Amino acid sequence: MDGNVIELRNVRKEFVTAKHYPGWSGAVKGLFSGEKEKKVAVDDISFGIKEGEIVGYIGSNGAGKSTTIKMMSGILTPTSGSCMVNGLEPYRNRKKNAKNIGVVFGQRTQLWWDLPLSETYTVLKEIYGVSDGDYAERMNFFEDVLELGEFMHNTVRTLSLGQRMRADLAAALLHNPKVLFLDEPTIGLDVVVKDRIRLAIREINETYHTTVILTTHDLNDIEELCRRIIIIDAGKKIYDSTLSQLKKDYGFRCSITFEWKDMPDEAQTRMLRDMGGNIGYRESDKGAKVYFSKKEISVAQVIGKVMGIVEVKDIQIKETELTDIVKDIYQNSAGMGV
Amino acid sequence: MTRFFRIYWTFASNQIKSNFVYKGRFYLFIIRKFLGMFIYYYLWMAVYAGTSSGSIGGFTRGEMVLYVFLSYTVSDIVMVGISSEIGKDVLDGSVALNLVKPVNYRLYLTFQSLGVMIYRVVVPSVFIWIGLEIYKVTELGMPVIRPLSLLCFLVSMLLSFFVYVFFDYCFGMLAFVTTYIFGMNIMKNAALNLLSGKLAPVSFFPPVIQEIFSFLPFTAMTYVPVMIYLGKYPGAEVLGQLGKQAFWAVALYLAGSLLWKKIEKRIVVLGG
Ligand SMILES: Nc1ncnc2c1ncn2[C@@H]1O[C@H](COP(=O)(O)OP(=O)(O)OP(=O)(O)O)[C@@H](O)[C@H]1O
Ligand SMILES: [Mg+2]
Repeated sequence: MDGNVIELRNVRKEFVTAKHYPGWSGAVKGLFSGEKEKKVAVDDISFGIKEGEIVGYIGSNGAGKSTTIKMMSGILTPTSGSCMVNGLEPYRNRKKNAKNIGVVFGQRTQLWWDLPLSETYTVLKEIYGVSDGDYAERMNFFEDVLELGEFMHNTVRTLSLGQRMRADLAAALLHNPKVLFLDEPTIGLDVVVKDRIRLAIREINETYHTTVILTTHDLNDIEELCRRIIIIDAGKKIYDSTLSQLKKDYGFRCSITFEWKDMPDEAQTRMLRDMGGNIGYRESDKGAKVYFSKKEISVAQVIGKVMGIVEVKDIQIKETELTDIVKDIYQNSAGMGV
Repeated sequence: MTRFFRIYWTFASNQIKSNFVYKGRFYLFIIRKFLGMFIYYYLWMAVYAGTSSGSIGGFTRGEMVLYVFLSYTVSDIVMVGISSEIGKDVLDGSVALNLVKPVNYRLYLTFQSLGVMIYRVVVPSVFIWIGLEIYKVTELGMPVIRPLSLLCFLVSMLLSFFVYVFFDYCFGMLAFVTTYIFGMNIMKNAALNLLSGKLAPVSFFPPVIQEIFSFLPFTAMTYVPVMIYLGKYPGAEVLGQLGKQAFWAVALYLAGSLLWKKIEKRIVVLGG
């Protein structure tokens, strides 16, 4: 398709590892068996992303997000399928591709561990051939938005997580890449730093039309930055639409939290678990949480059903928040394929 | 070209600086180095004490003293490994950094090693050489090294450096296949000590083995520069030896490129 900066078609990634058996005897057995285990991390994923989009790429732990990002940034080669970034196959044209992209892996720095931060930027300036004027302008911007000044002359290895993350983001943006890949850029950050990171991403996107793909477990990142969201689970794409569409699609989902007066006995519990009508049920500390779709059953009906089984002390009705929608989708991914 | 050096020289100069910064490492390094050299020295002196001829394998006792200290310092300078760095980068996944930036991973590693090499020339090899030169002239009555020989020696050392770094790069490619390189590294070092002539001059071995050695790249690492310094090669053979070193540097460089191409597709970056 034209106009897509990023285009994935039926991308699949398998990891092959030596099979492990439990225990010591297992270890010995593993030595001789030579059996291989195949793990499908990304399974037949396709999507296209247009210039200037900020896309949230989310999924539960181990869903295959990082693996996808690694393929798009040219670190991993897909087992099959095609992946194009700026019209290049990243893993075939790694060096060329590297000039077009910026990457931040929240888990680990992309900066040279031994260099003072300031030297990192001068090296990057040379590597990417950034002009003096652009360099000065961007460094000013970073120092404003990301406040790099206070640790500019420290060695990278001595930076705190939040400082390092800001430094990493600046390093990924120094050459004004067309595409920015962010794999958990806000992991482990305090609220203030998170805000700074988001602000920087938004400003860069607005000023330069940078295309951004972002994975995160903090859905506030998504709400504040992304118009579109792609959800994957167990390597498969299960949702791909705008954020507002997602809320429309799943916003009818509702949850009610009950607090019991007395804990229900076994028979009552069984009845609660099996109320029918697609009502989800999850026990909590002193009560339970009940999920359902307002399309199928009304709030009043649900409350009536529950109160018919057990005596209730407190009720809290919650309209769906993004977190709940996403949690819901993760939990029921099998039945919800789009 | 200047841009090239501005980029990669940063890694070298930073290695020099940080090597000076870690004082503990500095002293440990010196102690370890002298200990090794003197153990080796006393071993050989014991060997010489047991012979009556006063010369073994074409080396007089005095020349052996020079050989011991020279081969030790030279191999310390030119054998700055990068495979353990590759192994570490692969294990903790930081090799990804070098894949998403348009830097050449091998050049980056080479320049880092170059920094270490420069550091080691100053600390303390150059002083040992001056000491050796004084010993050579005053105790052994040999002439001061000629400027041309000195130049050949320095060129030869630089070539040794490239031969070793490019060899070790090939070796480091194993890290991508096995993700465990530490044990193999120990074996490699033991083998190299023998094959490169660090433990004993190659001329001590039986002719058949010497013949085999001459077809391998390892003597191009330590043995050749030391022999040049000692003036053991007559005139034109020096050039031949330098040519052999250059050949191995190029051959191993190409082998490394080939291996990288093969392995590139199989790269699995861990973690995240
Ligand atoms: N090098 C590897 N070898 C074998 N399996 C791997 C490898 N890398 C990832 N996997 C597996 O592939 C799956 C997807 O991993 P990936 O890192 O992409 O998940 P993720 O979506 O980024 O998860 P998280 O949110 O926890 O970061 C996981 O089940 C993981 O165990
Ligand atoms: Mg991940």
